[in-house]
Amino acid sequence: MRKTTRKFLAATAGVASIALLATACSSDDPKPASTGDATKDSKPITLTVATFNNFGYTDELLAEYTKTHPNVTVKQTVAAKSEDARTNLTTKLAAGGAGLADVEAIEIDWLPELIQSSDKFLDLNSDEVEGRWLEFKTKPATAADGKLIGYGTDVGPEAICYRSDLFEAAGLPTDPAEVAELLGGDGATWDKYFEVGKTFVDKSESAWFDSANAIYQGMVNQLEAAYENTDGTPIPLAENDQVKGLYETVTGAQVQELSAHLGQWSEDWTASFQKNGFATMLCPAWMTGPIEQNSGGITGWNIADVFPGGGGNWGGSYLTVPAAGANAEAAKELAAWLTSPEIQVKAFLNAGTFPSQTEALTDPALTDAKNDFFNNAPVGTIFGNRYKAIKVTPFKGPNYFSIHQTVGDAITKVDVDKSADSAAAWQGALDAFNALGL
Amino acid sequence: MSVQSPVEPESDLAPAPRQPRRVGFSQTLSRWDVKVSPYLYISPFFILFFITGLFPILYTGYVSVHKWQLLQGQGDFVGFDNYVDVFKQKDFWLSLRNTLSIFVISAVPQVIAAILIAAFLDQNLRAKTFWRMGVLLPYVVAPVAVGLIFGRLFADQSGLINAWLGAFGIDPVRWHVDPLASHIAIATMVNFRWTGYNALIFLAAMQAVPRELYEAAIIDGAGRVRSFFSVTIPQIRATVLFVVITSTIGGLQIFDEPRVFDSAGAGGASRQWLTTTLYLYNTGWSGQYNLGRAAAIAWLLFVLILVIGLVNFALTQRIASGSSSGPGKKVKRQSKRYDSNRTSA
Amino acid sequence: MNSIPAIEQSAGRGAARAAARRTNRKVGGYDRRPHFLNYVLLGIVVLIGILPIYYTLVIGSSDPVAIAQKALPQVFPDASLFDNFKRVIDADAFSFWKAVWNSVVIAVVVSASTVLFSTLAGFAFAKLRFPGRRGLLVFVIATMAIPTQLGVVPMYIIMTKLGWIGHLQSIIVPALVGAFGVFWMTQYLEEALPYELIEAARVDGASMFRTFWSIALPAARPAAAMLALFTFVAQWVNFFWPSIVLNSQNPTLPLAIRLLQQNYFVDYSLIMAGVFLMTLPLLVLFAFAGRQLVAGIMAGAVKG
Repeated sequence: MRKTTRKFLAATAGVASIALLATACSSDDPKPASTGDATKDSKPITLTVATFNNFGYTDELLAEYTKTHPNVTVKQTVAAKSEDARTNLTTKLAAGGAGLADVEAIEIDWLPELIQSSDKFLDLNSDEVEGRWLEFKTKPATAADGKLIGYGTDVGPEAICYRSDLFEAAGLPTDPAEVAELLGGDGATWDKYFEVGKTFVDKSESAWFDSANAIYQGMVNQLEAAYENTDGTPIPLAENDQVKGLYETVTGAQVQELSAHLGQWSEDWTASFQKNGFATMLCPAWMTGPIEQNSGGITGWNIADVFPGGGGNWGGSYLTVPAAGANAEAAKELAAWLTSPEIQVKAFLNAGTFPSQTEALTDPALTDAKNDFFNNAPVGTIFGNRYKAIKVTPFKGPNYFSIHQTVGDAITKVDVDKSADSAAAWQGALDAFNALGL
Repeated sequence: MSVQSPVEPESDLAPAPRQPRRVGFSQTLSRWDVKVSPYLYISPFFILFFITGLFPILYTGYVSVHKWQLLQGQGDFVGFDNYVDVFKQKDFWLSLRNTLSIFVISAVPQVIAAILIAAFLDQNLRAKTFWRMGVLLPYVVAPVAVGLIFGRLFADQSGLINAWLGAFGIDPVRWHVDPLASHIAIATMVNFRWTGYNALIFLAAMQAVPRELYEAAIIDGAGRVRSFFSVTIPQIRATVLFVVITSTIGGLQIFDEPRVFDSAGAGGASRQWLTTTLYLYNTGWSGQYNLGRAAAIAWLLFVLILVIGLVNFALTQRIASGSSSGPGKKVKRQSKRYDSNRTSA
Repeated sequence: MNSIPAIEQSAGRGAARAAARRTNRKVGGYDRRPHFLNYVLLGIVVLIGILPIYYTLVIGSSDPVAIAQKALPQVFPDASLFDNFKRVIDADAFSFWKAVWNSVVIAVVVSASTVLFSTLAGFAFAKLRFPGRRGLLVFVIATMAIPTQLGVVPMYIIMTKLGWIGHLQSIIVPALVGAFGVFWMTQYLEEALPYELIEAARVDGASMFRTFWSIALPAARPAAAMLALFTFVAQWVNFFWPSIVLNSQNPTLPLAIRLLQQNYFVDYSLIMAGVFLMTLPLLVLFAFAGRQLVAGIMAGAVKG
């Protein structure tokens, strides 16, 4: 026994001392946040850019900045998913802002919350970037006092993705231009979209669209003030006829007949791509990725240059500069460079992030871009057109997402869970709205 | 001197006459050793707790009596308004129901299965290491793999379980709609991960039970089942208590599994699988970012866990001591402790 | 038998007795081989544990198209697994070996210190009598009941004040010892460490620490091995807190593996190959730790 004990203890002690040595070594790791207090341009500084998903900012691209700014080294830290990045950013902001990167990427959906704390970000207004984006891109990032807290990177202009093979089987046209025309072309409306859907489901086993919530999201994003007045005061849901109208449309019998009754991103949703579950999807530029991923072996997907009710946007990101950073001005310059049309086109080529800069839309590198999975659809041109079609900037105040969730849950109960009828679920939404205590 | 014989009380005050004087110093040292050592040994935990554990608790308490938004930070002092608000929220009560339901569905079978698996492992098996580590495998499988697998098992339409049930002509279970079904699915994920873990904890304790006790029980004519109840269980009482307490605390804090049960992480459209920790997190970290209310929920949950933990503590002690009065040979080994108020000669 | 050598001698005797029992097992008694059904039941339990790892391997050697098409893309893992391993190790988004190193450092330091400090505290709580013992133990247990989800903001504030953001100690230090380990060691030593051994060592003139080191620590070995293993695994797969205080330039393995998902197009074959690479060291560790979980010798030492 003595021997084994000794051996065991020796092993433990040995492991512990190696480990301590190891910590000692690792603590030399360079601090990722910016070093030095250089406010002068000449001093060498390191700027960190925190992104998520894939912004298309490769090391080579970042090195280009050092060529024109020899004193600046740019480092990128990446979070896998935007929700990881969001938790990270909110934690650091809530704890006072220490440890933030010099440039922090954010998603459009975080803005209603962040804009309330606009003092924590640098004002990015400058002549250089004047007119770089469409109004609907800059407005959500602009505080009430005119302060701009984010430079737009990519956008999510929405088109209609469709299964040409299912269309053909149901006797509908398959060519993208014809499909766009079928859905109403420039004058496309939701009614038209549902009407075509009806003719489709009459002749097909498949549903017309995947999820009523996706349709509702597309519709509500075309309202200028969905849940709140533009001064930020919430509209009582019980009196919100616009929203109730949309709700009744998507939960009504006519539209429900077209639905595949799937919750987006659920396991059943993912699986139904393989089972011809539905024929069309509202399709922001970035959605081409998930569709391709889930549709392995299916060849019928295509994209029509059309969207019901005018243009629509879903998602997209910005670069912000936290005010607490030691090199905030230098970071602002870097952010402006990263979101310039030329660089954003390069990012698009690297990662498929569709640029939000109006000038980038005419860049041949973009207009020539095709997606071979979608039957070689000219995605650059299509989404460029869809971007230009966006006329409405939906106002999203501090309570937008809380209220949106009450309606979204009600739609899920009717469409996916089938645990309540339309009226009962609406009552549930009203109760949940009241519980918000607004 | 025999180990069993009682130590003369307080003999250190008057050194034994035959001992040389210089022993006095080492005796003083020894007395200090005995008095101070216990505190020294438990100090790392408490020092660390006061550095990294206490501040978060006090901070949470401070936040809970203020209007406090996650990003904008501190607002007005509001007293116990946040606590009152929590009680008015339907979701809070719903979350308590779900938490208790998932807890009961997961913890009870889990502890029973763990103790049985441990009993099976505590045998003269061939390839011991393989079996022991085999039952712990689920604990190491990365959450992403577990999520992928359970997602495919429990999908409402495309899931494997419903496909199997369908093969037997049973209607598909609506895992993501029906509250009880969702609780069962979540409890299954929890049990998958923690049953083997608890089994090994029990096994470690069972290994320390003196084999003589079993031999004596066999001589007394007890079978395996009998000796399990009259020797094993009483002998590992402290460990049973440990597992029950830690499972209670862990079970009432269940967070990851309900969060990943669907892609939204909100506990379902009707909040049918919203647990209290998930509710706490979503209150502070999404929607209204109401950190003040979230902190109040945290404190209420803390109190709830303490209460249920104490009830379980009392129950377990009663059950464990009740079963120890079986016919098997009883050996009392516990409760003697080395006393810092006396020193050995 | 009241000196340490005597105890060790008697422990030797205990071991000899155990050996004798082993040779006698055919005769019957407690140490006879278990029933066949025993293996069947354990086999089912182990199978449930192995299936996810097998599934990881299968997905990891597949490709996105096949994964989208079938729940089980293939029955046997094949050579493309190694191509996927290579893609993980060579990934642009992070330095794989740095992530491995960071994870090893964190897991090793935290498990070593958890075992040491937990055993020390468990020894004190279980076997020493001192004023406030019961109250302090209840306090330790009560700390486990604190919901951790809210702690992240204040904890981050502490780490900023200490200047540890981005450094491994921001993960290591808060985890050096925990209530779980202390509580467990207390309960285990309560049962497994005969009081007489401590008394004997003390009578023999051993200091408290020597008593701990030569009596309590060896007796705690099976539980310590388990605690080390549990702690190691918990740190090895820990994602949330590291994702706040570290970043992709200096990641741990779970952070790095998650970076494989950083696209709108998620390639599960790559992720699962990464997950398997991450699990592999744990399986090796299992083989080592499993052998430490052998006891019963110490417990018999004073009884015979």
